[in-house]
Amino acid sequence: MIVPIGPIHPALKEPIRLKLQTEGERVVKAEIEYGYVHRGIEKIIEGKTWQKGIYLSERVCGICSYEHTQTFAETIEQISDVDVPVRAQFLRVIANELDRIQSHLLGNSTFFKSMDHETLFMHVLELREYAMDSIELLTGNRVNMGWNVVGGVRMDADERHFNKILKNLDIIEEGFERTRQLFAEGPALALRCKGIGVMTKKEAIKGRAVGPIGRASGITKDFRNGHYTYDDYFDFKVITRTEGDNYARTLTRFDEIPESISILRQAIENIPKGEVRTPVDLKSGYAMRQNEAPRGEVTYMIETNGSLIKNISIRTPSIANMDSCARYMIRDVPTVADAVATYATSDPCVACAERVAITNEAGITSIKKFDEVI
Amino acid sequence: MFDAIRDVVRKSSIHVCIVNCGGCNGCDVECVALLSPRYDLEQFGIYVHNNPREADVLLLTGAVTEQWKDNLKRIYDKAPEPKIAVAVGNCPISGDVFAQEGGHVNAPASNFIPVAAEIPGCPPRPSEILEAILAVGPQAIADRGREQQ
Repeated sequence: MIVPIGPIHPALKEPIRLKLQTEGERVVKAEIEYGYVHRGIEKIIEGKTWQKGIYLSERVCGICSYEHTQTFAETIEQISDVDVPVRAQFLRVIANELDRIQSHLLGNSTFFKSMDHETLFMHVLELREYAMDSIELLTGNRVNMGWNVVGGVRMDADERHFNKILKNLDIIEEGFERTRQLFAEGPALALRCKGIGVMTKKEAIKGRAVGPIGRASGITKDFRNGHYTYDDYFDFKVITRTEGDNYARTLTRFDEIPESISILRQAIENIPKGEVRTPVDLKSGYAMRQNEAPRGEVTYMIETNGSLIKNISIRTPSIANMDSCARYMIRDVPTVADAVATYATSDPCVACAERVAITNEAGITSIKKFDEVI
Repeated sequence: MFDAIRDVVRKSSIHVCIVNCGGCNGCDVECVALLSPRYDLEQFGIYVHNNPREADVLLLTGAVTEQWKDNLKRIYDKAPEPKIAVAVGNCPISGDVFAQEGGHVNAPASNFIPVAAEIPGCPPRPSEILEAILAVGPQAIADRGREQQ
């Protein structure tokens, strides 16, 4: 029997359709149907200036909106051969890590909600509000920050901002310990998480899983290693686990939060004085950049003709993660309820994933399968 | 007498369904933030179910994409009367940045279903969303309930 879930369903945040093939209660196969939020962003950006492009790129995804603007700006900077001032690089790192903290907390809270564990859901969402406060304090907005411009960041921050952020980080760290312990050592939760939705390392490579989802299965790639700011100024540990189940994925996201907090403390302590924005002489050319968004690698390929963007192609992590979730994680879970929880641990972000739409002669829109796009 | 009691009950328990008809997700995240202890939606008698079949208020987010052109009306019809739709964010009001050449959106949402209230912002703050639901929700639902009779 095929159980359709979505597009509007109590367990899902965003419109997507999960088709679960079941035998009794056991799910044997899953398929994901995309296409509900395709807006055609890449096509809109073509032929526009970077000022308009960076605004649109922020609206690719609302949860990890920050990393899209940073990657966009860095790609244009790479084309134009510009070095960003060090203070601006540090400010970018601060916004990036705050965004990572709130995104991981939101991802985990969604998972707890899908498992009907209201207590942890509330605890985690409460912690997230402190990260959102810090973001708002620094950038002026809660979700779409508009923090990056080509050549630096939009404005400067000072001691008052940093002290408040440090205070918020203390609150997050204090509450986080308890929340993590509740999850990691709770016997009832562990029963529902351990050994469910297992994806081995081989399967993760085959499904191109990235970010915390891939790292929970043993992939060690983190695109913060290799980024010039992180390489030059920051020490951090890449969290990896080997189990590849729901428990591992949730704990990987939890364990990355103290690393982010430590990076934030290093950044605020060592931030140098100076300019935050440098004038940019735009050149024509092509460049590609990859960065680590909260969900994995974000790739931007941009071709410009000097002032206008000729062509842009965006690759987001969610499409790979959701596809490997449907193929390998949900494949053999014991119940339909576990399938929904497993889907939530892959931290899906549907708005990111919708890149290609095919309209046939009858006017019916469908989305290409992942393999066809690759 | 019976109507008065029903109005009181309706005003104090509002069931909400978030319908993302093709947005960037930012407004949905702010709606989820409403559930957090800081805003505590449930103290006002508002429950977020995400189930259109028992919803009184449909929170619309996102510019209406191709797939939602027919489905939006179908979702709206599934919700039992009395019901209202509240547009959250710029997208369902005007299409925001997506309503330009190359975009595949069919905003505004009011072309497809009646929209009772609009909350502009990209995205609006959680407190603004909460304020709007409380300002229009109870009265509009009670009014609509009487219209139906």
